[in-house]
Amino acid sequence: MSIEQTPIEPEVTEQLRRQQLGRYLATHPHLVLVGVLIVLILITGSIEPNYLSINGLRNSALFAVPIGVLAAGQTILMLTGGIDLSASMIATGAAYVAANQSPKGAVIAIAAGLVVGVIAGAANGVGVGIFQVNPLIMTLAMSGILLGLFTSWAQTIFSGSTRMGDFIRTLGGGSFFGKSIPWAVVVWAVLSVFVILMLRRSGFGRNLYALGDNPMATRLSGTRSWQVLIAVYTLAGLFGAIAGLLLGGRVGAVDLQLANVFLLPSVAAAVIGGTSIFGGVGTYSGTILGALILGVLQSLLTFLGAGQAIQQMLYGSIVIGLSWLYTRIAAAQ
Amino acid sequence: MTSTVRESLLEGTQSPWRRMVRRQGWTVGVWVLLFLLIAYYSTLIPKFGSFQVAWVINNGQPIVFLAVAQAVIVIAGGIDLGVGGMLVLTSVTSARLMEGQSLSMTLLIAVGVLAAAAIMNAGVGWIINVSNVPDIVITLGSLYVFQGMALAVLPNPGGGANGGFRWLFTGSDTGVGSNWWPGAVMITITVVATALWLARTRSGLSLYAIGSNKAAAYLSGLNAARVKILSYAVGGAFAALAGLATTAIAGRGNATVFGGTRTLDSVAAIVLGGVALTGGIGSVIAVIPAGLILFFLNPILTAMGVDPHGAQIIQGVLIVLVLMVTGVIEWRRKRRG
Repeated sequence: MSIEQTPIEPEVTEQLRRQQLGRYLATHPHLVLVGVLIVLILITGSIEPNYLSINGLRNSALFAVPIGVLAAGQTILMLTGGIDLSASMIATGAAYVAANQSPKGAVIAIAAGLVVGVIAGAANGVGVGIFQVNPLIMTLAMSGILLGLFTSWAQTIFSGSTRMGDFIRTLGGGSFFGKSIPWAVVVWAVLSVFVILMLRRSGFGRNLYALGDNPMATRLSGTRSWQVLIAVYTLAGLFGAIAGLLLGGRVGAVDLQLANVFLLPSVAAAVIGGTSIFGGVGTYSGTILGALILGVLQSLLTFLGAGQAIQQMLYGSIVIGLSWLYTRIAAAQ
Repeated sequence: MTSTVRESLLEGTQSPWRRMVRRQGWTVGVWVLLFLLIAYYSTLIPKFGSFQVAWVINNGQPIVFLAVAQAVIVIAGGIDLGVGGMLVLTSVTSARLMEGQSLSMTLLIAVGVLAAAAIMNAGVGWIINVSNVPDIVITLGSLYVFQGMALAVLPNPGGGANGGFRWLFTGSDTGVGSNWWPGAVMITITVVATALWLARTRSGLSLYAIGSNKAAAYLSGLNAARVKILSYAVGGAFAALAGLATTAIAGRGNATVFGGTRTLDSVAAIVLGGVALTGGIGSVIAVIPAGLILFFLNPILTAMGVDPHGAQIIQGVLIVLVLMVTGVIEWRRKRRG
């Protein structure tokens, strides 16, 4: 007996340890993301030593901000089983209106920009919540409608200034503490705290999870789904508008292509962060990590001098690879 | 389920006419809408002839083929955001390889591109099966991978295509002309063949089966994984056909256009064509007029003197209205059933 057992034992303990590790990762999926993020930062640092400084990390953070804020909208919508393909167009529209109203002062400009997000988001919510239009199609159509509206308005009622006001430019691109901490990151941090608390502590947040998990049961237990949906799409529109203002502030001048490139990354950030596109599963803290990973990746690819071709291929592979890894970990659970 | 059984029982007692309306109503409706739009368009412009017809049919081909690609995949219960990337990739690859080649060599390249696209997209379907990650996420990744490959193949717009090859899609060696029938034949042959395959063969019907109820299809002995991979392979081939048509129309390839926009167009077209995004319902025959209508809105609005940017607004409103109407019809059917 004992002779037979000795060769098996180390293998068994090895297997047990691997199982334990798997179980631990399954209950703490964020650890995987933190690991990926740290590895990416170290790789980038080994290629470009200057990157491991406040200035280098600041650039990655600045790139991650619009993705992260847009992805806040995607996350809360994905929890209900929805998605927002109009987010980038809402952001662009909000920035365009804010730039146009900038001569009238910062308060009016920001308010006007946010109103764009609220109106477009609420319209999405009415379509999805009341008329039961598929969210993918509703927001896709909204994106087309907004593009059409703003393209024609750019020559009529919103002709004129496309330059952001100074206050919004500071908010989007400026920093404090000797240019070390960007204001945009502060805005993102405040928004993050709000979203995380909302999802964890409020009844509205719990309604989102419930609605995505089992819409029928949620309705039967007394939730007015259509009100929740209108509210969540409006909120996502508001986040889109905030992302647009920050992005427009960083770029300085606004055009109708402003936020287009950020649409699919915002979905990718939420997916990488472990939010299920079918609803009911996910956290915003995961999404934040996803956005940061994409931000660091952008810096890495810039330092490597990789062309657009390599960047996009790598980007796609990472979306596929991480979501695959995540599903495997979740299945192990 | 019960309502479907009830309907099929009822159909025996109904007149064939009503049965046809129930079954083909949407398809016929979209075709009628297309012809109404063309008739309306002909009254708007001073001279309406074969040149205009050829223009719509020829330039509408990419969106029609891409919509068929999307339709086949959606009918089988998936969705492929990567078809637009595949269109760009196959277009630039064919443009680069075909430059300065003879017609027979060009046709060989075209067949090779179609096969390669089918195999690559089958790989996407395989990954979806193995990983259990939702289609929309994996194909979001494949969209970027294809787009990146396209940029690697042809960083700057260029390449070329044989005149005979261009004639095949556009009826003219230069891509412009009033010869409309080659384009029409191309659309008819490919799409009708696909429709017959979907409706009449065992493998085609299995797409509807796993699209409408994957578990039931699996339990009745279908290999769900194989059917899904098949749907992605056929979708990839049609996306490649759209790419070849793009090359034939433009006579060159351009990898700097973003495929994601084309994907969204294809989704809009299948919704207008009555394909249910939940899978299992729809006909590729109705996708032809739907794609052409979406393409046709722009010139109509220009002819009406409306700002062509309005096309986007109308397109968006139209698609939302379509879904609201289908939602109401579905709701009424359920109440009656």
